[in-house]
Amino acid sequence: MIGQDLPDFAGPPVGWFALSPLLVLVGGAVVLLVVGALTPRWPKGGYAFAAALTSGAAAALAMVQWDDITDRGPVTLVAGALAFDTFSMFVTIVICVAVLLVSLVTDDYLRRESYDGPEVYAMYLIVAAGGVVMGAANDLIVLFLGLETLSLGLYVLAASHRRRAESRESGIKYFVLGGFSSAFFLYGIALVYGATGSTNISEMVTALQATVRLDGDDALVLAGVAMLLVGLGFKVAAAPFHVWTPDVYQGAPSPVTAFMASAGKVAAFAAMTRVLVVALPFYRDDWRPAIWVLAVVSLVVGSTIAVVQTDVKRMLAYSSINHVGFILVGIEAAGHSAGETDGGPGVPSVLVYLMAYAVLVIGSFAVVTVVARTGDGATDLDAFRGLGRARPALTVALTIFLVAQAGVPFTSGFIAKFGVIQAAADERSYALAIIAMVTSVIAAFLYLRIMAAAWMSDDDADDDREPVQVPFSTGLAVGAAAAFTLLVGVLPGWLLDAADVTGQFAR
Amino acid sequence: MTDVLWLIPAFPLAGFLLILLFGRRLGDPRAGLLATAMVVASFVVSAGVFFDLLGRPAERRSQVETVFSWVPVGSLRVDMAFLADPLSITMCLFVTGVGALIHLYAVGYMHGDPKFSKFFLYLNLFAVSMLLLVLGENLLVTFLGWEGVGTCSYFLIAFWHTRDSAATAGKKAFITNRVGDWGFMIAMFVAFAAVGSISYADLNEAAELGELGSTTASAIAGLLFVGAIGKSAQLPLYFWLPDAMEGPTPVSALIHAATMVTAGVFLLTRVNPIIDAAGEWVPTLIAWVGGITALFAASAAVAQNDIKRVLAYSTVSQLGYMFLAIGSGAYVAAVFHMVTHAFFKALLFLGSGSVIHGMHEEQDMRRMGLLRKFMPITALTFVVGWLAIAGVPPFSGFWSKDEILLFTLADNVVLYVVGLVTALLTAYYMTRQVVMVFFGEARWEDRAAEHGAHGDLGTAGAEVAHGAEGSASDEAHAPARSGATSGAKQTQPHESPPLMLLPLVVLAGLSLVGGIIQLPALRFMPDSITHRLEHWLEPVIEIGEAEIGGTWAEENATLLLVLAAVVAIVGIVAAWLVYERKRAKPVEPTVLANAWYYDRAVSDFMGGPGRQGFEGAAWFDANVVDGAVSGTGRAVRATGGELRRSQSGYVRGYAGIIGVGVVLLLGWFVVVRGIL
Amino acid sequence: MESSFPILTSLVAVPVAGAVLVTLAARRRPEVVKLVGLLASLVTAALSIWLLGTFESGEAGFQFVSRHPWIEPWGISWHLGVDGISLLLVVLTGILFPLAILGADPHHDTKAYLAWLLLLEAGMMGSFLSLDLFLFFIFFEIVLVPMYFLIGGWGYEGRVPAATKFFLFTMLGSAFMLVGIVATALLARDSVGRLTFDLVELAEQAEFATSTGRWLFFAFAIAFAVKIPLFPLHTWLPDAHTQAPTAGSVILAGVMLKLGTYGLIRFGLYLFPEAAVWARPLFLTLGVIGIIYGAVVATMQRDLKRLVAYSSIAHLGFIVLGTFAITSQAVSGGVMQMINHGLSTGALFLLVGWIYERRHTRQISELAGLQQVAPIFAAGFMIVMLSSIGVPGLNGFVGEYLILIGSFLTARWWTVVATAGVILAALYLLWAYQRVFHGEPDEENRHFPELRPREGAVLAVFIGLIVFSGVYPKPILDRIEPSVDAIIAHVEERTDFVVPEPDQLVVEEEDEGG
Repeated sequence: MIGQDLPDFAGPPVGWFALSPLLVLVGGAVVLLVVGALTPRWPKGGYAFAAALTSGAAAALAMVQWDDITDRGPVTLVAGALAFDTFSMFVTIVICVAVLLVSLVTDDYLRRESYDGPEVYAMYLIVAAGGVVMGAANDLIVLFLGLETLSLGLYVLAASHRRRAESRESGIKYFVLGGFSSAFFLYGIALVYGATGSTNISEMVTALQATVRLDGDDALVLAGVAMLLVGLGFKVAAAPFHVWTPDVYQGAPSPVTAFMASAGKVAAFAAMTRVLVVALPFYRDDWRPAIWVLAVVSLVVGSTIAVVQTDVKRMLAYSSINHVGFILVGIEAAGHSAGETDGGPGVPSVLVYLMAYAVLVIGSFAVVTVVARTGDGATDLDAFRGLGRARPALTVALTIFLVAQAGVPFTSGFIAKFGVIQAAADERSYALAIIAMVTSVIAAFLYLRIMAAAWMSDDDADDDREPVQVPFSTGLAVGAAAAFTLLVGVLPGWLLDAADVTGQFAR
Repeated sequence: MTDVLWLIPAFPLAGFLLILLFGRRLGDPRAGLLATAMVVASFVVSAGVFFDLLGRPAERRSQVETVFSWVPVGSLRVDMAFLADPLSITMCLFVTGVGALIHLYAVGYMHGDPKFSKFFLYLNLFAVSMLLLVLGENLLVTFLGWEGVGTCSYFLIAFWHTRDSAATAGKKAFITNRVGDWGFMIAMFVAFAAVGSISYADLNEAAELGELGSTTASAIAGLLFVGAIGKSAQLPLYFWLPDAMEGPTPVSALIHAATMVTAGVFLLTRVNPIIDAAGEWVPTLIAWVGGITALFAASAAVAQNDIKRVLAYSTVSQLGYMFLAIGSGAYVAAVFHMVTHAFFKALLFLGSGSVIHGMHEEQDMRRMGLLRKFMPITALTFVVGWLAIAGVPPFSGFWSKDEILLFTLADNVVLYVVGLVTALLTAYYMTRQVVMVFFGEARWEDRAAEHGAHGDLGTAGAEVAHGAEGSASDEAHAPARSGATSGAKQTQPHESPPLMLLPLVVLAGLSLVGGIIQLPALRFMPDSITHRLEHWLEPVIEIGEAEIGGTWAEENATLLLVLAAVVAIVGIVAAWLVYERKRAKPVEPTVLANAWYYDRAVSDFMGGPGRQGFEGAAWFDANVVDGAVSGTGRAVRATGGELRRSQSGYVRGYAGIIGVGVVLLLGWFVVVRGIL
Repeated sequence: MESSFPILTSLVAVPVAGAVLVTLAARRRPEVVKLVGLLASLVTAALSIWLLGTFESGEAGFQFVSRHPWIEPWGISWHLGVDGISLLLVVLTGILFPLAILGADPHHDTKAYLAWLLLLEAGMMGSFLSLDLFLFFIFFEIVLVPMYFLIGGWGYEGRVPAATKFFLFTMLGSAFMLVGIVATALLARDSVGRLTFDLVELAEQAEFATSTGRWLFFAFAIAFAVKIPLFPLHTWLPDAHTQAPTAGSVILAGVMLKLGTYGLIRFGLYLFPEAAVWARPLFLTLGVIGIIYGAVVATMQRDLKRLVAYSSIAHLGFIVLGTFAITSQAVSGGVMQMINHGLSTGALFLLVGWIYERRHTRQISELAGLQQVAPIFAAGFMIVMLSSIGVPGLNGFVGEYLILIGSFLTARWWTVVATAGVILAALYLLWAYQRVFHGEPDEENRHFPELRPREGAVLAVFIGLIVFSGVYPKPILDRIEPSVDAIIAHVEERTDFVVPEPDQLVVEEEDEGG
């Protein structure tokens, strides 16, 4: 069967250049670890700068690739193990941007919590590499590799604030449950392999195209799909596989939470798209209803539980589950036309949402990071009281992020939601669209609560708390995120155009 | 001359604006004199227009003058336009004429009031509105004036607004009038829907040409009558008028006797062709409402002790006469009585005002008497008014009332009897008043002693907002005027200043000779002097006017004339015997003093069930409608709280939940999609 | 007609610029901040008045249209235009904001306060000018944010819950509209030929299956019904009004509520004629219920501001009645009533706000005899109140009268009931006036300060407009009517609905005679 694929190699050779973003990330990680270990402590912000530089370079390279792909069309690399298409590049860019912003936030955080060092940044880069692989994987095993790389990195990062019990606890929880779900994922791969005789997506597709659906192995594949869905559902934190999210998000160091919520989710959703839309278009009628249900449950659970929270980090955790629901709405829409030459609006809407949300959530958690103050503990609603008077600029930024998450116009959040709703409406799934919008209203309540605390509390924050400090690099990250949020909100054309071409996948 | 029609309302408007801007600077009395001058000016213009029209042939006695296009939308074209025709000019003449006199009187009466200029501000605004009302070329302009006079009456009744009774009375008047306005508005809508226009010319024309279906005509006429009921204080909406006496006396004379309250009569006369085209039940209804109101109010007047309330009820009663006339198709008679009534009722009110003034704000007739000794001119003029309203020949009231009775008899005998009885009562209660005030023995020396009690009485009256027995005196409650007198010291009554007496004299003269404008055709009278008003109004009312020629009533007109006179005399003599000669004990049952408790019943309903209904609505809104909203919020929170429990914090719990998810997914894929 | 100067765009841009400048202005110099904010609003007002002046009266179509592609992938364009229906609302917005800024003082955080106000103005302007569904929606939605912060930041005791309630309630309404808008554009893609959110294109070319059209109409209508607010979706209004700062209430009642009624005409009648005609009975009924119910509940309020808030519900009910009566008079009257209500209720809220400034209470029971101590203040209140009651000669009457006489042609019995609302209006307002202004002033009220010059100046503008448009409404109506007639014609040719013309025979005869 390899023989059939030989023509594919007529494209670019192994394509080291095409792999360059990935290689840069990995290389950067290695350099940081090795050099960081051998050299004395770098000057203030050195590690963060290195990480930011690396991810920036990777992003730049990915952008360079973009045109090649749009010119020559998508291809697969490394014996069809990786897909070299606009989708993977988009994902790469988003992840790199996430790393960049998060590194800026992490820098001051680590020094404030006094465990500065290269490890965390190296982890970021490794996780990013894993995420890139997930987004580009054209083989379920490769995808699993990426997934595990990402996951292990995140487990460690979650526990990285060693002196905080919550941090350690969240690491353990995440690790145990993650392993649990990964097992399902792996088992799913096995079952699918059993049915199709390959783990390579291209070959799976051709195989499935060829074989008539017989009940026996059909059930086998379906079981596999179910298992895969469990693993992916866990990673994207779709209800009911979301249970780990609140505890982990709350316990993990705030910048890491930002990283999980951005890069982690992006990679996971990329993987989900790969598996469902690219690999299993012939089962779309089977998995689409499942996604429908997952979406509704996530939307409802995320928004309603968020209403009764008092800890901002937890609120944002639940709101992220609500956002997952929205993204699943996009996936559901993509499911209607999966495998067709015109991919439909589903996948692009998902990518736009991921881009917007990644930036939003980093911005939000960046603000949480500084408000949490030394010890990373002050994340309850009271910690935000009177913030508007103490730190107006910061609070304005926070407001922007929050209203954007609520889907208020002139913000990227609105564009993202609008895109997803449009995709759903385009595929005639109005019910899902309306449910999503209604839950977004419920979710809006918690954003209003945070804003009210920050702006409208008569009594300022109780004085025994130390004043909120906004270090330069964090301010930079927050400012950039806010600017991006508004920019996309006012001029979304370029982003939409970019996402539009991600419909054609390499096979 | 008619092209200066717009000047008639323009003068008082100018006065209004001037006083608005410089009122405080002009002050007392210049502001008042200015206002008076403005009304006199428009009287002069009216007179000019009157003679101009008089000089024309009957068919050219109607002319429209459009000032500007007011509300033009689609097929609806309403202009701010004035209609000069015999009817409107007649109205203008006595509105401005009597109005001017009352203005002049008020200059004297309101002297010393800190809000002197504001009073004339309102008074001029009222004149403007009233003139718009009568001059309007279409229903909407009339309605503009209609609402305007209502608003001014609200201002003026509540003029001494620190007094609860006054404030309440004003509000009551406005809202009660609004109830009638509902009818007026719907009438306009029906008219527009049916004819595509609301100008009198088009409507009446349509009615004459029979383009107006009987039902439509009935609807329009009936609804306009509803409006008239509100404005002209007929049953069942009369009850605001007696309370309106809380206003300064000149206001009672001008608005609540001479002019505003006759607007309803004017309106129905204006649209008499429509009433003619309407079903038979409409005029019948009007006649009966009028008749019953006349009797009802007259009976109430018999037992009132507040000098002004007597006159108030008598006004309601006299207005009833006018509607009785309209219902019987006697439009000329209605207008005739409207004019004469304006004369003698204004006279009586001003006279009572003079008395109140002279008695230092005392209004309770039981504390008066023998005043003819102290205020001879007032007494003399008052007597003229009394004889006029009582219907004693040859005073004006006699002729107009007789004409109405004549037509009524031709129309319906029962109503004729009602009218006759009312006439009897009228003569009776008016005599009673005159005796109590000007004759008998003086009952006011002890006033000083009683003063405290009297104060209480006043408060009581104020508290009973619907003022049965509400003889609140200006002095007791208007700090504005308490400077005028202070209790015990100068209880000696005194004649009023000439500024107030002059109008009295003029009005007395008019009340005396007013009848000549419409003398009945009797053997000994030359035709040239009979039925003047009828000939003059012919172009306006020829359609609606009933034809009584050849009826029994017509043949025996002279007999009826005598009968009416006799009735009047009887009434007077009876009252004289009771109150002056003390031959019999006065019959003044409380049921009459309280006007058959009708008013109290209404206000009890509004204060009781009505209010509870409103409270209920408010409760419904706060608890049911809003409750649903906040309930939804609570429901969401509760759901959140329940779901939150799944977040035990224990890994095993989480694993369990995930496991459930796995099972469900497997179930769906393998069982539902795969095997089935 | 294309105009060289992008007047409409600048109507939106100037307030935004003003907001930016205000935020940049030095915090130390509050007077500068105030001046900048006031100037920005005044410039906007001047622009809107200039617009009024150069507007071609008698033209039905959109004028000063400016159209630039914005989000091409979604077929969304920056498409602004003004016609007789939106013109006066734009002018009203322009005039009301400076008056609100002059008339009410925030007491703290003037910078933020003015910035939010100006952003609010920009949003309002945008909503009234947008001719693109997407554009309209984002403006319609964005106004929630400034209003939320104005209520929550400068309101009274229970401000935060009220602000939240307001935000969520209205957002819920627009959630449906968003789906509706998207679906409309997508479903019309075939009949129009491309994906577009352009109102005119959709209204003129789009064809929907009957049931589809009705669903879409309701998706829109819910959002508007909440905004108006239509019974029973009104309960956010009293809380928001009562808790909002004076300027907030003025704008909320004066302009924001009109987004709902305006939307019903522009995106209901115009976009979905069939559905609108089909839904007439429902909306007529709800409108009439609003008139009576709002008035009745208003009568029983103890809080002066709540009372005025409920009176708004009644007034807006009239507008809904007129809109769905679909006759030239009724709809024109409705549009006029939007302006009238903006003026009279706006002024009322200012006056109530001033009373609060002086007495620190809105409870009717704690006020008494104010006319004795502050006659000019009382006179001003009286005039505004009479306009709100609908006394002829003042603006309130013209609108109500046109609505009712027009509605009588197509919705007879609804109108008969609605007219009773005129009585109730007198009831609750006069009663409140008596309790607050009449009677003897007690100790607390004896030293109630008289109207101040600045307040007097602001009030004078209101009263001037109130009297003018009551005495001579022709110029206003001449600008409204053509556009209204165009929409009615649009409805008539797309549905079997016919406006019954009142019998013209007599008029013609009279014309021949004259």
